[in-house]
This record gives sequence, C-alpha cells and structure tokens, in this order.
Amino acid sequence: VMLGSTVINHQQHVGLQKLAALAGVTHSYLGPDKNLKFIQDDTSGGSALVCSCFRVLENLELTCAVGQLVYETVQAHQKVYNTGSGCLLFLAGAWSRAVLECLQRGISVSHIISAMSEGMDICLDVFRKYSISTDGLGVVQSESWTETSHGFGLQLSKKPIKAVSQAMDHLQGTGNAGHKPPNTGGQRKIKLSRHFCEAKSRNVSAASQPKPLNVAHIAEGLTHGCVSAMKLVVEINQIQSKNHRNISCSAFDIIKVVTCVLPGLPEDQSCVLPGCIVLLSAEQALVAHDLQEQHLKVALINGDLSDSFCHLGFRRPAGMQHVKSKMPLSSSKEEEWMVTVLALLLKLEVNLILISGLANQKMIQRCCRHRILVVERVKASVLKAFADDSGGVPVTYVTQLNKQCVGTQAKILIWRDLGSTGTEFSTAVNISSGANSGLATVILTSCVHGKLQALEDQFWSCAYRLHHALIDKSVLPGGGVIEMLCIHHLQKQAGQCTEGAANPYRGVVLCLMADGLIDYITTVMFNTGRLSKVKARTLVSQQLQDFNGHVGTAAKFSQLFLDSGTEDTAFISTVKPVRAPPMTIYDNVSVKQEAWRKALDLVFLVLQTDAEIITGIDQRTDGFIF
Amino acid sequence: MARLVRKSPSLCTDLPLDNDDISTKLNLLRKLLTSCFGPTGKLKQVHNNVGGHVVTTSTSSVLLPAVSSSQPFVNLIKTSILNHVSRFSDCGLFAAALCLALTERAKQSGLGGNVAIGLNQHLLSLCVGYLQRDDCGCKVKLDFCSSQNLMTLARSVISSKPACVLTEQETLHLSRLAVQAFLLTVPCDSPGTVTLGRTVTVPVEGHSVLNSAVFPGLLVDITDAIYPIKAGTLNSNLLCTVLFSASLAGDLSELGDGIIEVHDGADPDSQILDQLLEIGKQVVKDEVKLFLCQKVIHPVLQQYLRSQGIIVIERLGMSLMEPLIQMTGAQPVAALHTTLPVKAYGKVRELTLRQFGSKTMLQLHPPGESAICTMVLCHRNETMLSELKVVCLKTEHVLRLTLREPSALLGGGCTETHLAAYIRHKSMSKAAETALELGCSQTEYHLGTEVFCRSLESVAAALEHNGGNSLIDLTHAHHWILPADVMREYGEESFGFCGCGLVESSPSKRWTYLNTNYTEFSPESLCGNATQQPRVLDSFVAKLNALQVAVETANLALDVRYIIQDVN
Repeated sequence: VMLGSTVINHQQHVGLQKLAALAGVTHSYLGPDKNLKFIQDDTSGGSALVCSCFRVLENLELTCAVGQLVYETVQAHQKVYNTGSGCLLFLAGAWSRAVLECLQRGISVSHIISAMSEGMDICLDVFRKYSISTDGLGVVQSESWTETSHGFGLQLSKKPIKAVSQAMDHLQGTGNAGHKPPNTGGQRKIKLSRHFCEAKSRNVSAASQPKPLNVAHIAEGLTHGCVSAMKLVVEINQIQSKNHRNISCSAFDIIKVVTCVLPGLPEDQSCVLPGCIVLLSAEQALVAHDLQEQHLKVALINGDLSDSFCHLGFRRPAGMQHVKSKMPLSSSKEEEWMVTVLALLLKLEVNLILISGLANQKMIQRCCRHRILVVERVKASVLKAFADDSGGVPVTYVTQLNKQCVGTQAKILIWRDLGSTGTEFSTAVNISSGANSGLATVILTSCVHGKLQALEDQFWSCAYRLHHALIDKSVLPGGGVIEMLCIHHLQKQAGQCTEGAANPYRGVVLCLMADGLIDYITTVMFNTGRLSKVKARTLVSQQLQDFNGHVGTAAKFSQLFLDSGTEDTAFISTVKPVRAPPMTIYDNVSVKQEAWRKALDLVFLVLQTDAEIITGIDQRTDGFIF
Repeated sequence: MARLVRKSPSLCTDLPLDNDDISTKLNLLRKLLTSCFGPTGKLKQVHNNVGGHVVTTSTSSVLLPAVSSSQPFVNLIKTSILNHVSRFSDCGLFAAALCLALTERAKQSGLGGNVAIGLNQHLLSLCVGYLQRDDCGCKVKLDFCSSQNLMTLARSVISSKPACVLTEQETLHLSRLAVQAFLLTVPCDSPGTVTLGRTVTVPVEGHSVLNSAVFPGLLVDITDAIYPIKAGTLNSNLLCTVLFSASLAGDLSELGDGIIEVHDGADPDSQILDQLLEIGKQVVKDEVKLFLCQKVIHPVLQQYLRSQGIIVIERLGMSLMEPLIQMTGAQPVAALHTTLPVKAYGKVRELTLRQFGSKTMLQLHPPGESAICTMVLCHRNETMLSELKVVCLKTEHVLRLTLREPSALLGGGCTETHLAAYIRHKSMSKAAETALELGCSQTEYHLGTEVFCRSLESVAAALEHNGGNSLIDLTHAHHWILPADVMREYGEESFGFCGCGLVESSPSKRWTYLNTNYTEFSPESLCGNATQQPRVLDSFVAKLNALQVAVETANLALDVRYIIQDVN
C-alpha cells in the first residue's frame, strides 16, 4: 500500500467558518429554557433525543479536523465539569465570528491574539473581583433578600485574591530556585516540595474555620432551570450531611452518588434514597426477601464471578494442549469450580456478593439456592464505599476470599416491586453498608424512554454545579450579570486605548469580543421564548448604557432577566400580582472560567492553522499529494 | 501451479531536480515547513482520512513523520532532517528551511552542480569557523552563575510553538520549571564521571498551566489503584524496595506461540502462582517495604504482600523503569527465580501522596542526593498538552546541550542575517584567490555566495508570517521586522528592538530591506556591550549541527543524478 499525504490549503479562513457553523447547533441549549432536538440517522432509521450540546456532538459524525477538535475539547470539558459545554461551544462560535470580522478588517493574527488574550484576562479579572464567597451565603438571604441582592459588593470574597497572591508567592519562590547557580551547595536547599508543603499547610489552616453553609440556597441559585433535578441534588446533600454532621456540614460527596433509571413510571416519582438501589430478577428477589432485616456478611469482587475469568493483563497461552491420560470425569471444570466456590462462600457465611463485572448465570442460581444474593455491575465507587464501611476488602478472584476480606453489617431492604412496570427486573432493592456511608441513589423515572438520558444528564450537571461551587468556595452572580459586567469592562477598556500603543487594534478587537458575549446573553433571553432577538438586544444595550459598573445595577438587570427567565418565578408572578421575592441566580466560577478559556483556545488553535495534513491512503482529489 | 508474473522494469528519473513533479513537491514542502517557523508560525492539523484523532502542531518532529511521500527524493531530505531532530531536538525547521531554500536557489541560479556544492562546502566551513571563534558577533557565552541566560534559552524554545497557546505568564512559569528541572538533573557532588539524571514528564489534562510543577524523585500514577495506599506511615526509615521488570501476572505468555502440552491433572496456572508466592515469602523475609513491578502482578500475590504490610504498585510501564533504577539503586528482576540476590534491592526514602485534579500520584523520594525529578505538566486540553509535552522535552534537551558547549546563538533571525553579512564581507576580501582555489570563475563565486547568503536571510525572513517586512541594520547586521499593519508615519522609529532584543533602534541607525542589495560591511560585534540582555536565544550546538545538516543535505540533493526506483 502506498502511503500519501495531502495538504489542503485554506484560502479564506474555512476553519473558523466551520467552527462558527458548528457552534450554531448549541443555540437552543443555552439558558434555563432548553429545547430538545431529534437527531435522525437516515441510513439506519435510528434516532436520538438530545438535550445538551455534548449529546449532540456525540451523535453527530464529525469527520473534519475542526469538528474533531471541537468534539475532543467538549468531551474533555464534559468529563471534568459535566456542565457548561453549550456555553463553551457557543462562545467558540461567537468569538470565531469576531475573529473573522477582524481578519476582514485586515488586522494581523498576532494582534488579534494578543488583544483577545488581554480580553480574556480582563474577563477573568472581573470573575475574581465579583465572585461571591459561599461562606455565609444565603444566611442573610433568608432574613431579607433585598439587602443581599443589592449588597453583593459587600460580600465579595477576599479569598480568591488571597489565593492568587499565594500563588504569586509560590511562583516567586520557584523563580528563586531557578536563579540559583547549579554548582553551589545552596541549590539543594530550595526544593519545590517544600514550597508545596508550605502552601498546602497554609491552605488547610485557612479552611479550618468552617462557617455555616446554606447549601440549599446555593443549589437553588445554581438550578439554571432544572428545578426537579436540583431538588434531587439537595436531597442527596441532606442525606449525606446528616451522616457527616460531625465532620463537615458542607459534605457533598459526588463519588458516592449512583443513578438508577426506571422507565415506565411517571416523572414525579423520581426520588433520592440513602444506600444503593439495585434491580433484581424474580429469583434473586426471593433471596432478598429472606435476607431482609438481617446483618449480612458481604464479599466484594472486583472482576467477574466466573471460572473462565482472568485478571487484566493475564494472557492464556494459545497453544495449550491437555494430554489426557484417562477418561474425563463426569464433572466438568466449571462444575468443579462452582463446588469449591460455593463451599468457600458457605464456610465464610457470605450472604451478599457485590461484583463489579458479571457473574456466571449457573453460579447465580446456585447461590440463590443457598440464600446468597449476587449483585452484578456494581460501580467501583460503591464497592469502595462498602469496603470502607463494612470492613471488607475487594478481591479479584472469589477464591481469594478469606475471613479478613469479608465485610459485615450490610443490609438489604426491599424498596419496591416493579412487576407492573414491564421491565425485565421484578424488584428494586436497597443495599446499604449498615453504617452511614453517605451512599445515595437517585431514582430517575419517566414514561418516555427516550427522555431518560436527558434527565440523567440534567441531574448530573446539577450535581456537578453544586459540587464545583462547594470546591471553589465561591460563585459568580448569574443570570447574565457576570456577562454584563465583563461586557462593560471590555468596552471600557476598549475605550481607553491610547494612540501609538503596542497594539493599535486593541480597542476594535475587545469590542468585537464583547459583542460575542452580548450575542450570548441575547440568545439566552431569546430562548426564554418571551423576547424576540431584536427586543433582547435593545434591552441589553439599554442596560449597558445605564450601567455604571456597579454590581447593584447589574443585579437589577438580573431580576429583569429573571422575570422573563425561569418558569417558576414567571408562574408565581402570574398567580400573585404581588411579586414574590425572586431568587438569586449563581454561576460556577471554575466551570465558566474554563469554558471561556477553552472556547478561546479553540478559536486560537483554529485561527493559527493554515493547513490540514491528511495521512493514510488518499481518495480525495482536491488536495495536493506528496 | 506456479504462476509467473512479469516484473515491471525499474523506474529511472534523470536529473531529479529538473523534474517538474519533484521540484513542485520540494517547493510545497518548503512552504509547508517554513510556514510553521517561529513563534507566530502557522499550525498544521494532522489527521488520517478516516476521521481519527487530530494533532495540531508546528513542530518538525511531529509534522515530518506525518508527511509521507511516494517520492524518494522528498523522503531523503525528510529523513535527514528527522535524524538531526532525533539527535538535537531543536532547529529542525531551521535545517529544513535552509536546506530546501539552498537547493531551490542553487538550482535557479544555474550554477553547475559541482561548483555549487564546492562553494556551499567552502562557505559552510567559513560559517562554522566563525561561529566557533571566541569573538563571534552572534554568540553569547552562557554564564552558569546566573539563570538569566538559561531562562531566556528555555523561554525562546517554549514560546516558539504557538500550538501550546500560552500566555506570557505561563511561558515564564514553564521556563522556570524547565530550568529548575534541568538544574535538578545535574548531580551536585558526585566525584568522577558525572552522569546526568532524568526528568520524567507526567501530563495532566484539564488544569491550568500554572499548576504545573517539578518534584524531586518520581511520581507514580495510582489513580486506578483500588486498594488505598496509606503513604507517610513508613516515612521514618528508608524503604527497602524491589523492582520487577518481569511480568508477575502468573501467565505463560512470555513463552511465545509454541504449543505446550500439559498432562491432565497438572495445573500450570497454580504452579506458577506457587512460584510467585515463593517470591512473596522471600521478599517478606528480606523486609522489603515497597514492591514495584513494570507489568501486572497476580491479584493473589498482591493480596499476600499487602497483608504483610508491603506497598504494592504494578503496571509502572517501560518509561519509568530506567529512572526508577537510577533513583532507587535497585536491580530490575527479570526472571522468577526463587532466590532474589540481596544486592537487587534498592532504597526509597519516603512516600507522599499528591493529588492533581483527578489524578492521584505517589511521590517516591530519592534515598539521598539523586538527579531524578518529575515534571507535572498541566494544560487545558489534550491538543495543547501534547504539543507542550514535546516542547518541554525539547527544552530539556536544549538546556542539556549547554553543558556540552556553554554558548548560545542570538535568536529572532539575527544569527542568520549576521552570518550572511559576515560571509558577504569575508568572501569579498579574498574573492580572486578563493575562486582559483575552488576551481571556478569569480562570477560563479559571487553568484554562489549570493545564493548561500540569500538562503540564510530567507530563513530569517521566514519568521514573519503576517505580511511584515524583514530588514537588516547596516552596523550590527541584526534582523528587524516591520509589521505590515503598523502605520506608515511612525516609520523606522517604530522598530523598537531587533529580533533578538540586543540592539535598540536609534536615529543614527540605517536599515535596508533583506531582499535588496547592500554594500558589504563587516558586522560589528556587541558582546562587549553588556547593557542589554538578549531576549531570544537559540541552542548553539543544535543550530550549528542544523546548519551543517542543511548544507550537506542540500549538497547531496544537488549531487543526485539519477533516482532508480524498483516499483515491484
């Protein structure tokens, strides 16, 4: 096979145009009011109901290089944050339109890049300046909401600034280490690890005075339109914080959360339960019934429960031949294995086996007969939680089990009978490790099977929003406020351009960048369905004109935004003529920051690319073949 | 039935450089590679035609392997450049740009092949001779008493790859880390032959570049370990360590594909496991506290070792083995002998758990002074991170090369323009004699010199990608760039500094465009003048070799008379 590679030259910036076009698919997913999309595959006839930017990209076949790059970026973002992908892609599109405009005006690539990086710094600075510490947030809120919403400025956290200065200290420290000449004995004295240890211990001492956190209030602010999903998240937090009251009241351990999807039930039956809910077949359910209300001995197996199972990395030699000297016995190898395993399990008095992989069907049945319940496909985090609480040790092979490995005090509770819902499973059972493990299961239900995926995605994005807010220990004023502040600062900076500066196009580029954000806000407003695009734009520009850079004014804007925003408030205001106190909306600091930066990174990468090199066997004719 | 297929005759190309197809391909290759050159270079997206992973890069070591050609002539040049890159890491694009420019210009000039080759050789030796002189005007002596120059060198390498998408602050942070890692790998007070240590790079995706850091010792990824490792419990004493390079998975896979006959009743799996447990018992007896394996360890053995209080880490991977051996002093055990020699054991001082986002790492501290360190590189996405990794490896290499020759060359195109001015001046002074010596006419001599100098200058000019103009000043012969979108009225005062940042523009300075003729002059050296520090530096060793590779490859290309291809 002859290899060839092709170079495709981009005359105008095709890459940026592709990026802008691809970003178009995200428009309807922005903001609290989302529209679902159907993706249909003409060749196979299959279809998918999608409700987030990430799921759209997942379902599209992206073959071009820009598409691949976008997908990889969004995937990486989704993996860590589970939310904000739509914002990422929208801004990538909006800013690539801004860059195209710059290119058309003859601004050089290096000037575009330097000005836009500066613009990003301005925005991140705004984030830092206006971020609200979660400490004590919402405590004042319950007494009088007006005070808080207008008094954001007073509550601005000092923490991020401190963290930044700490980081700077740290930088300085490493810099010094770099300056030391290599041949003097003093060089070894300065070790990075020391600086790290110091920084860490300082951080710990800073965090050691916990203030009461109003998690429910923070969660409410982070709802972003997914009211029912966020309600479930708050319930989980209540379950978990009940258990961790002594340690820390803000505990939200996302690793110990499991989702369980039940089709065929109405959506309002979604709920949260402590422990781990698993679905069992009729035969297993009988065993579960017997084992209810008992302290059970539990075995944890990190692998499959089968005689042919080998641990990862074990390769069975291909050319193994067994020389048989006598007639094979009646019992097969599998049978022999089952007998040994069962004897072992009975000896150890195991009642419950949790397996991360699959189990041999015959083995499950045999276990059932001896009143041993086998649960397959258990998440690794659940195994770990059981190991921590019940004192069991996960093993790879069932034959490894011994007295020390078996955990105690596990419990089984029949949760509900599923006989009527038409699934292959008959019963849902709650397994818990006895102690307050913090394990929680979210039951997601829907009569529409295709919607379950969207519900699950929504739940996880809410969960991660709260999770990241608690990690960041701060939030941003949401509902468009932070964007407005960024636009305001960008435009202000753009106006302050001095003649003869290093970059004569700084002002233009910053303005175009701000336009991208205006585009973002207006799209979100448009998605509420109460405003036309034009109306939304006029509203935004009016606000910007009246805007004096004070957070209070921005907050007012957010109320305005909100009135036409979330369904609940709108509902309330129609029912009651007297305005109910509108809730505050928050955004995540790290999620937003990373989404914006990743969007700009994407634009920069594509902007600076002038050629595609396609390797492999070439079938195209429009490129140049080496 | 035997079937005879007639062999097709070999394909012979006469004078390949005159061949249209080949010269277009070479021209395209030149454009492709020069467009990547420098900090404002254009990026290339490399992917396969079935929609695989996209690599965005402007680094020659990533780009060139992707450019595969059916034309042996193109591959000849490609291989030569890649050879240089594999040995010196840096200056691959410089070598490629110079080589292809020289070849193209020599062909266009109409000089006879032999004359051009002889002249190039002569001019190359002039260049090399000049660069190695102590009073060379484009060379900076590196002073190891200050990290200033090392930082500049590191920064120049890191900032030359825009696909890393770094801010000024991030570039500075990484330059510091690179220099710091380099200094950590230079052993402090070991007598006798000094062996340089190693920097192991650990990439972490999804985090800010400013979270990148350098640690002494090694960091092992234990994110996927299901058994919690309690570090810090044993940190009072040195940990006795054993290191296996053999697989302890308990399989027979290393026996190859042959057929094994096993008697019924015999169970090879359990027999191997018994053997493994024997090893475990010995290790416990010898009071080993840390059990490391490059490959997989059988779960049963792991369980046994853990129950004895030993910390077990498997699947270390090939790349960590060398540094682990260097750091711990352990001999890797490659066979499953029951008796482990005592001298095979190594030492680790203590263990620390470190968390980088979703990654959990175990830091193994060296038992004493050790030149092993780990650099954790963070970046926001995979594309930029993979480029950053390549760039950091390159920086490490470039810094190491300074130990071989403690000098650096001025960057930003200044070395090229300076060298060209020097060659023009030098060759003019003894034109007649040298021409006679080389056996060519004086006209040919001048023409050849012009080809050589113009090629060098074209490489300097290739640093500009936004339509700006390249200029040279007529005193120091440094390289200056006049951006395309700078307002005309500012004129030449808006220059600021030259490419390397050593010369500042002043009203008394005179400039000329790079592609115009200027009367030759002897470029002044700036080395005595220490008020300014250069802002861009290139590796001396790498660039010198790149220069030689470029000229020699171009000479080879000019020398090829026939290409004979067996197409069967």
